[in-house]
Amino acid sequence: MPHETEMRRRAGDASVAELSSAATLLEAVGRGSRLSLKRLYELESRRLYGIALKIVRRSDLAADVLQDAFLQVWRNAKQYSPERGSAEAWLTGIVRFRAIDTVRKLAREVPTGDPALGDAPVEPDVIERLSADADAEALKHCLTLLEKEQQKTIMFAFVEGLSHSEIAARLSAPLGTVKSWARRGLLSLRKCLAP
Amino acid sequence: MIPDDRDELDALAGEYVLGLLEPEARREVAAALSDHETLRRAVAFWENRLHPLSRFAPPAEPPPEAWTKIAGRLQLHAQRSKMPLWWNEAAPWRWATAGFAALAAALLIFVALPSRLSTYMAVLQAPSNAKAGFVATGGPLRLIVREMAGVAPPPNRSFEVWAIFPNVPRPQALGVMPAGGVLRVNTLPTVAYVGATLAVSVEPVGGSPTGLPTGPVVFSGPVRTM
Repeated sequence: MPHETEMRRRAGDASVAELSSAATLLEAVGRGSRLSLKRLYELESRRLYGIALKIVRRSDLAADVLQDAFLQVWRNAKQYSPERGSAEAWLTGIVRFRAIDTVRKLAREVPTGDPALGDAPVEPDVIERLSADADAEALKHCLTLLEKEQQKTIMFAFVEGLSHSEIAARLSAPLGTVKSWARRGLLSLRKCLAP
Repeated sequence: MIPDDRDELDALAGEYVLGLLEPEARREVAAALSDHETLRRAVAFWENRLHPLSRFAPPAEPPPEAWTKIAGRLQLHAQRSKMPLWWNEAAPWRWATAGFAALAAALLIFVALPSRLSTYMAVLQAPSNAKAGFVATGGPLRLIVREMAGVAPPPNRSFEVWAIFPNVPRPQALGVMPAGGVLRVNTLPTVAYVGATLAVSVEPVGGSPTGLPTGPVVFSGPVRTM
């Protein structure tokens, strides 16, 4: 990398090697450290690329999403503060919005059926796979309390970036019904997660 | 409208985070975030609480060139954002102005030579220090505006070129400077550019939204016969 030497010269980069969490790196990016952005990329790019791929379903588009997202991270890193939550969730939000913008702009591609491109639809039965930490446990518990269709609506929207009408098509339900599943599902989740 | 009702607001924030809002509603929420503490908290709540769902997207290896492209684009941003630092330094330009004028003259000869159809030209200079930023040459059918080396708009802005004619009340937009730094404008033989003034303003990316200059004019110069 030709820019590496120049980056190392920058003040504030000296301690970067010791930094490892996404939150610490993101705060350093906010102070203008480009080396921290590179480390953040090394740490998070596989996860974020996977999220983009699940939504856009094309490797070239997912790569564009990833690039645009990291440039946005560079510009907006100052807006992140640990009080607003985890750095990973903040990064996910940026990538998901970019990916959703991309698929809404193009007419969504027909799935190829290639699971490597994220084409295997997410079935809420796999909610069982959610666990490993307290946040996930809480979400899992609260999702299982929802009606099945509400669960699916929220999952499809978050994981695959589907719109109301795409969810309506997939679940063979009227648009208005899907909109109400989303709203009622969210409100029940809210009450369960933060009573 | 961001609702006052807590349930309505929470549902709206949830739909926003899920990506379910129509473009207009989404823009409205995004615009309200900076000033609406409750809304901001509600959005953060959903971003964080729904985040475990992102694990359903299995991690995957991005193409190896992805980082190179990001780094390349960052480099570009960095060069552009350095502009204002020396831009506002008066001292270096005092001695440099003469040099730039000579350079501009040399460049003019260079750019003018290839086209025998060039009949007029303009050197666009910064009003403050006379630094030449653009050179325009043209003939009956075409006007070409070239950005000089080292000139770039501020980050997230574009340069837009205008022609101001003596008897026309408003500046006429000639176009936004493309990335390559060369703007080619097809012109009508009947429009007399000699005697007009060419100007470059700083505009939002893609050009002025109003059709008239909205940002500062950073370079300008009269069009003269060659």
